[in-house]
Order: sequence, then C-alpha cells, then structure tokens
Amino acid sequence: MATVLRSQCAFARLFVGKTGQILNNAIDLGVKLAPEPQSALLSKNYSNYAHSPFVTKIKKEQYEYEIVKKPPEWTYVERLLPFNTIPAVTPKETYPSGWIPPREEAKNLPFFLPRTKFHDLPIYLHVTYRGMRKISKIKRIEGDIWLLNDEIKKYLKEKNKRYVETRVQEVARFIEVKGDHVNYLIEWAHTKGF
Amino acid sequence: MTSVLISAIKRLHISITPPLRLYSSNVTVTPANTNLTITRKEWAFQPQYTKPREVWIENLDTVEEQKLGLFELHPSVYAASPRIDIMHQNVIWQRKVRWVSWAHTKTRAEVRGGGRKPWPQKGLGRARHGSIRSPLFRGGGVVHGPRSGKSHFFMLPFYTRILGLTTTISAKLAQDDLHVVKDLELPTDEPGYLEELIEKRNWGPSVLIVDDTDYAPRNITAALDNLPHVNIMPVYGLNVYSMLKHDTLVLTIAAAEKIEERILRLLHSDTRQQQRAFQLDQV
Repeated sequence: MATVLRSQCAFARLFVGKTGQILNNAIDLGVKLAPEPQSALLSKNYSNYAHSPFVTKIKKEQYEYEIVKKPPEWTYVERLLPFNTIPAVTPKETYPSGWIPPREEAKNLPFFLPRTKFHDLPIYLHVTYRGMRKISKIKRIEGDIWLLNDEIKKYLKEKNKRYVETRVQEVARFIEVKGDHVNYLIEWAHTKGF
Repeated sequence: MTSVLISAIKRLHISITPPLRLYSSNVTVTPANTNLTITRKEWAFQPQYTKPREVWIENLDTVEEQKLGLFELHPSVYAASPRIDIMHQNVIWQRKVRWVSWAHTKTRAEVRGGGRKPWPQKGLGRARHGSIRSPLFRGGGVVHGPRSGKSHFFMLPFYTRILGLTTTISAKLAQDDLHVVKDLELPTDEPGYLEELIEKRNWGPSVLIVDDTDYAPRNITAALDNLPHVNIMPVYGLNVYSMLKHDTLVLTIAAAEKIEERILRLLHSDTRQQQRAFQLDQV
C-alpha cells in the first residue's frame, strides 16, 4: 500500500510539472513550478477523469510560473528526457558486455552488413514448427549478396564439416541458412569487421 | 528532338567525358552550366556503404528545364530495395483502413411475413415447411449474407508503413520519376503553362507535387485548380497510394529534406514505447 501511495504522489508531482511544459512546448525553456505541494486525496480509486482530484484541484494560481531561459538546472532535466534517437556508441578500449564494435575496413568489401539501430548484427534465429525447424537469417545485406552467400557457405562447411543449405532473397536482401548457425555467423561477421 | 539527342551523344563520345547519367528530359540542357550549386550533405546518420543518391535541382519558372544544382539524398530513404510486396501491402491497407462496407441483406426473421405455417405438416404429399421466408423459398431470407456497417479497419505494422514509403520513393527515383525542384513559384496562374511544362519535360500526364508546408504559392494553386491530374500535397500527406497513382513525383528541396530527416529519425529511434499502446497481444 505504501508503494502505491508513493507512486501516486509521484504521479501528482509529475502531473503538475507537465502542465507548464506542455503549454510552453519548448525544450530550452526552464519551468519554475509553484512551490505549493500537491495534497491529493490518494486513497480514492478514480474510475474516470472527471472524478479525479487532479481535475478539481487544479486552480488558476497553480499555472502561474516564471520562465527562466536556460537555467543551469535544465541540464538535469535533459538528463531525464528520453532519447530522441538511439545515441552513438562511445568508443572504448574494451566493452565489458562482450559487444564488438564494427571496423572501418569492412566498408571496402564487395558486400556489407550494417549494424541495426541498436548497434547489433542483423543475424537472427527463427524457430518454427515447435522447435523442429531452425533457420538462421542474415538481414539487411548490402552489395554483392551472392558473394556473401558463397563465403558463409564455405565458412559454415568448414566449421560444421558438412554442407549447409542456404536461401538467398535478392530483393528483400536477406539470406536464410538452414539450421542454427547464428553463433558461427556472428563469429564470421566479426572476423570480416561488420 | 532526335537530332539534338544524337548530336548530344556524339559530343559525349568524342570528348570522352566521364559517364554522365542522361535523364529522359535532360537532352536539351547544356551541361556547361557554370553556376551549378553542388550540395554535399552531412546527415545525422551518415550512409555506411551505399553511396548517396544524386539528383538534379530543377526549376518550375520556365517551361524549359534548367539544372540549378546537384543535391544528395540519403540512401536509407531514397535507395531502398524495390519491395513490390511491401508496396502492395501498403496499398491494400490504405484501401481497407477507411472502407466500411454498407452491403446489407435481410435474414428470414427480418423479411416481412412468413409467420404462419404455409401448409399442414402431414397429409398433403408436399415438403414440410414452417415459413414462406425460409432461405429455401424464393423471396426468403438470406443465410450468412453481408450485414451493413462492416469495418475493414486494420493497422499495418509501423515499420512496414515506413518501408512502404521508402521503397516507393526509391522506386520512383530509380525509374526517373522523381524530380526535385527549387520551389513552386510559377510565372503565371494559367493551367496551360503547367500542362505545357509537363508535356515538354515528359513527366507523364499525372504529377504529384509535394511541398513541406501546406501553404502553396498562389499561382500554382490557381493553376492546379483546373488540372485534376496534377495534385499538390504537403509532406505529412505523402503516401504510397498517391505516389503509385501519379506518374511523376515532384518534391521541393525542403520537402525532400523533411521526408529524409523524418524517416531517418524513425529508422534510428526506439519507438517501442509509443507502439506499445497499439499492440494487439497485450493483456
């Protein structure tokens, strides 16, 4: 119960903060809120919007605020705002998660495998027919897809010591490999620098 | 026309200029234009492997085409793979999303009459029937017929819609059906001027003009008022169906950049939180 109360209090504070920001609709404007604390009747379970105390409690004086341009506190607000786009990776010596950054020389190859927006390799495993069929899929291939197909076939044949079947979709730019070869394919992509 | 083309090709062969991409409407233009503005762009997300696409910046204030400059377009948006299946899905979605079928039939309960048993159950040698409005009867009710107000609404996944836009716009560019113009300023408000321009530049009968704002200059709106096959649209109205319906897509520079910026941002942002409300498999 205590946690519920606390979360509702947090919501009340957030709600008061939001009104000023939305009215301004500007990111670089700092908003100073009225210091008056929100004391809502928190034990009530609101069934609709009109019965919410936030609706009745909002008075005119609560909207009165002062606009301060770029206060030093605004950096702390920016820190809390969600990312507009997924940020680039900061270069480091080693990554403790085991993530391997792409290398520059991969762009000179006749084919290319770009990273996804989450900076991962677009290599996936599709398990269908209740685990009876496993297909490894390499997506978003750019450049010579048939050459890439030959290379991974050769690589997987060496690794598995048997022939592996692949399917190349030239228009949709992906290759499907029969069987679970995701780890080998990721290993291969890292050796190429993708 | 043909002689000019032949002479242009001859000139190209003799001087051994580097390979020049010849547009269908490019033949009358002298390449020795000194005041070309060549724009090399810096995007927030630089192209990795595929080279940026280059397009000419054209003009609309003369009937003859003038090349005002070169312009780069991001390959993620303007050089996507031509996925006809995705285009088809988008077109079907656009047709269905606002389609409500008003076809209607009456069931046996709704057809007037038929409350009385038409003849006795036994003793006449005829088939047993309880109502003259049963579906077996002529003029009877319809079984499993269409009922009015049927909605065909569904939502295509968000990134399928994005891919639909990029793949269609890329196909248009690859087929020389996309032109970038500097602005939409016309010298007159006569529709004949625009018709002549489209005829001269071989843009095909139907043209879709896209600007970044929904306020167009007066001359072009007045000219387009009487041209049903030439339409104008803001960037927020751009869609796969309209792009496929029109032969040529004409973008202003601002529109081309805005489309690029918006799609690039969506391709590189995490929209799972925004899409969560629209998930079908949530509890």
